[in-house]
Amino acid sequence: MTDPQLGVFMLALFVVAIMLGFPIAFTLMALGVGFGYMAMGDTVFQLVVQRTYSVMANDVLISVPLFVFMGYIIERANILDRLFKSLLLAASGLPGALAVATLVTCALFATATGIVGAVVTLMGLLAFPAMLRYGYDERLAAGVICAGGCLGILIPPSVMLILYGATAGVSVVKLYAGAFFPGLMLAGLYIAYVMIRAWLNPSLAPPLPKAERNVPLGTVLGGLATSFVPLAFLIASVLGAILFGLATPSEAAAIGALGSVFLAAVYRSLDFRKLKESVFLTARTSAMVCWLFVGSFIFSSIFAYLGGQAVIEKFVLDLDLTPLTFLLLTQLIIFVLGWPLEWTEIIIIFVPIFLPLLKHFDIDPLFFGLLIALNIQTSFLSPPVAMAPFYLKGVAPAHVSINQIFRGVMPFMGLVLVAMALFYTFPGIGMWLPEYLYR
Amino acid sequence: APSVSRAQTVSWKFQSTWPTKDIFHEFAVDFARRVNEMAGGRLKLDVLAAGAVVPAFQMQDAVNAGILDGGHGVCAYWYGKHKAFSLFGTPPALGWNATNFLGWFHYGGGEKLYNELVNDILKLNIVGFLSAPMPTQPLGWFKKEIKSADDLKNLKYRTVGLSADLFKEMGAAVTILAGGEIVPAMDRGLLDAAEFNNPSSDFLLGFADVSKFYMVQSYHQSAESFEIIFNKRKYDALPAELRAIIKYASEAASSDMIWKALDRYSKDLEELKKKGVNVVKTPDSVLDAQLKAWDKVIEAQSKEAFFAKVIASQKEWAKRTLAYERANNVSGDMAYKHFFG
Amino acid sequence: MNRILFAIDALSTWVGKAFAWSIVVLTLAIVWEVFSRYVLKTPTDWAFDVSYMLYGTLFMMAGAYTLSRNGHVRGDFLYRQWSPRTQAGLDLVLYVLFFFPGILALIYAGFGFAKMSWMFNEHSSNSPNGPPLYHFKTLIPITGVLMLLQGLAEAARCVICLRTGQWPQRLHDVEELEKVILEQKAHERGEVA
Ligand code: NA
Ligand code: NA
Repeated sequence: MTDPQLGVFMLALFVVAIMLGFPIAFTLMALGVGFGYMAMGDTVFQLVVQRTYSVMANDVLISVPLFVFMGYIIERANILDRLFKSLLLAASGLPGALAVATLVTCALFATATGIVGAVVTLMGLLAFPAMLRYGYDERLAAGVICAGGCLGILIPPSVMLILYGATAGVSVVKLYAGAFFPGLMLAGLYIAYVMIRAWLNPSLAPPLPKAERNVPLGTVLGGLATSFVPLAFLIASVLGAILFGLATPSEAAAIGALGSVFLAAVYRSLDFRKLKESVFLTARTSAMVCWLFVGSFIFSSIFAYLGGQAVIEKFVLDLDLTPLTFLLLTQLIIFVLGWPLEWTEIIIIFVPIFLPLLKHFDIDPLFFGLLIALNIQTSFLSPPVAMAPFYLKGVAPAHVSINQIFRGVMPFMGLVLVAMALFYTFPGIGMWLPEYLYR
Repeated sequence: APSVSRAQTVSWKFQSTWPTKDIFHEFAVDFARRVNEMAGGRLKLDVLAAGAVVPAFQMQDAVNAGILDGGHGVCAYWYGKHKAFSLFGTPPALGWNATNFLGWFHYGGGEKLYNELVNDILKLNIVGFLSAPMPTQPLGWFKKEIKSADDLKNLKYRTVGLSADLFKEMGAAVTILAGGEIVPAMDRGLLDAAEFNNPSSDFLLGFADVSKFYMVQSYHQSAESFEIIFNKRKYDALPAELRAIIKYASEAASSDMIWKALDRYSKDLEELKKKGVNVVKTPDSVLDAQLKAWDKVIEAQSKEAFFAKVIASQKEWAKRTLAYERANNVSGDMAYKHFFG
Repeated sequence: MNRILFAIDALSTWVGKAFAWSIVVLTLAIVWEVFSRYVLKTPTDWAFDVSYMLYGTLFMMAGAYTLSRNGHVRGDFLYRQWSPRTQAGLDLVLYVLFFFPGILALIYAGFGFAKMSWMFNEHSSNSPNGPPLYHFKTLIPITGVLMLLQGLAEAARCVICLRTGQWPQRLHDVEELEKVILEQKAHERGEVA
């Protein structure tokens, strides 16, 4: 076998090996070491060490543990129910009020808590029973919670965008600016969809009883001032500092982490035990993400060394695709990968294979990344491996079946595709802000 | 073992420390083309850009370990291993230019000292060639014109190598970022000012989009050259004629770089002016402050014996050859004024 | 046997948790840099080096701890359907094939990598008075040894599971909120967690 053939074989073997369920970081490392040994002998061991060091000295990834830390602090600070209750008061007059309040809570809260799936379980405990109690359709309620709970990965500051930035060499700042409006658009589509359905068919999401609808304005504002405003202020200052060039993502993340500690302290919901828990969980989550990078750095540099990348490129170029078909094909592959896999593997391992081809098709890596960010939303929702539906199933009343949840989620997956189509047709939705801020 | 038919061809991975679009990567390709054409297919350098196998700052480690067979970069990048490394890339401004500095390397004892550092002190498995003398590097890109040395105080400034010590001595807060990160960082206000290298590279990196003052003339890096390195075990195993081809290709590429740089750098300086960049000469007071700061940097670093030995050798060479040049060479200024105003 | 496994877990956990506090130091160091840049107008020249060193230390030293909590992500859509015996058998084979070679490389080549750095008295080239790099690079072989120990413990767990048909218990530790909530719910319903 020639070196490039070995490279392609290595990739194919990885796709099979990943299904064996062994930790992916070490699967990648092992394939790198094995195939590297065939190509360069003992020297591959030096390569393993140097690639590990590359991850250790990577200045883009510094912000990963910081944002994760900020997320854990906020998550453990018990501000979610406060937020949901005050938003519900504010939305009480709208059709599908509970669902709207849930989506807004999710969008805001998930924004601050990064990569963890806590939002779905917390909202599953809080909002889901409430919706069922008020006679909401189970499928609609489940869809709202699952789809809403995943928004945080898209709306910046998001760990996923940092990982894409580190993989693709695209400025994280530009990615944040770019993802801002598409994220809002998707949240807006969800809300509009829920309101229209509730308005057309109130039996799906009955209005709140009259007594609960006429909330005095003072109460609404008071509730918002103590829950929504502080958190929104924290998130806005973190995002603002990044977007307006006052701080790097890692600096903003550090300020956000310290800010969330203060916020939690002000709410009297932070003690040393919770701080400790957040610190330890931060270490574990960061280790999980960064060791995946170690594995993938080793794998991909052997893949490049063998010339596997060149073979893939030649294969794709020989297909003589138009930029549009190339784009559709890559997005389709990512969409399909999202069913069995989680987003970390897709971003860190599969996306780099497409990246070198973008130049040939004249596709902006920023645009490509934003499209992927939207696309990845579906990987949380699609069976068989769907973090959000499984978490919801775990906390939902026993009579709600996983199939009901999956059915409830489907329209929201459709909305993600609508959002992608809109973004493709009007790239300005995402590209305008970065161009405006950084040109 | 690789089973491709390589019976006749030795194919080597040769990685630069530059992004593909930078003219520096083009210089790396120019060198490799000379080797490949002269070797008639018996040795082939496969040129890769920074990051293809390892990031720029790990290129030397990778060549040393044999992960890469060779690479194209500058000595200043390795100054974390020994400060004296910077003396072989970007030495103090002794009044010389980079061509004269390469004269020291080849005829003034520099090469022997370089080998002492690489092979005896650091025990690296590396063979190196200095090539391609760079013109004086501009003081850099600033948001406000620099009118005195005080304007540099507490400025968040990017540079590399011993030049970092120099600017720290002058009161700047020196940060070192990779080439591609400089402009975004200036854009975000994280850097107030930065230098990279020359009008062509600076143009491509996009400095003109984020700052309007290009201060030219400086003593911080007035005599830098590239360093081309190979894994010594592999190099030594080559037949004598292939080793000769590599050595002479580095010399040929050196001349070619001078000529190409004159053409491209001058054109790109005009392009920068067309984009509305103010090209301003650094005031003499700042240049003077730089020389005084060099005294302190040299004194501080010379506590280390090898550093002191290299500096002494450089000073001895520069004093003699510059005296000759100053006595002998006619000033270009008068003729330029006569013909072109 | 379990005593030895718990001792290895305890070592990994202790190291992981001790270095987990790097995140607090990292947060404060970066906030200080921002403060000195905007308020004191004297930016530091160490913040950059200190940041990546703390970040790198954090995730390297937490690697074995994460392994002891089974926290490294798996592509488990098939795996989770299998019986514990099948899981354990496959895991055991893959620890030998997939885990140990790379980790041994970290120890063996990492030792040489760190030794070189100590020999050069290597300092960071990111700033004029760059801090030493050799401690940081030494984390690679140290991490390798910790991962090796933990990997042996995990392999032993596979053997126990193959014998008994059940995954052995782990010591209690802090868990993700969703996992805690899910376990509570399962407990309320009287299911086995
Ligand atoms: Na999925
Ligand atoms: Na320079």
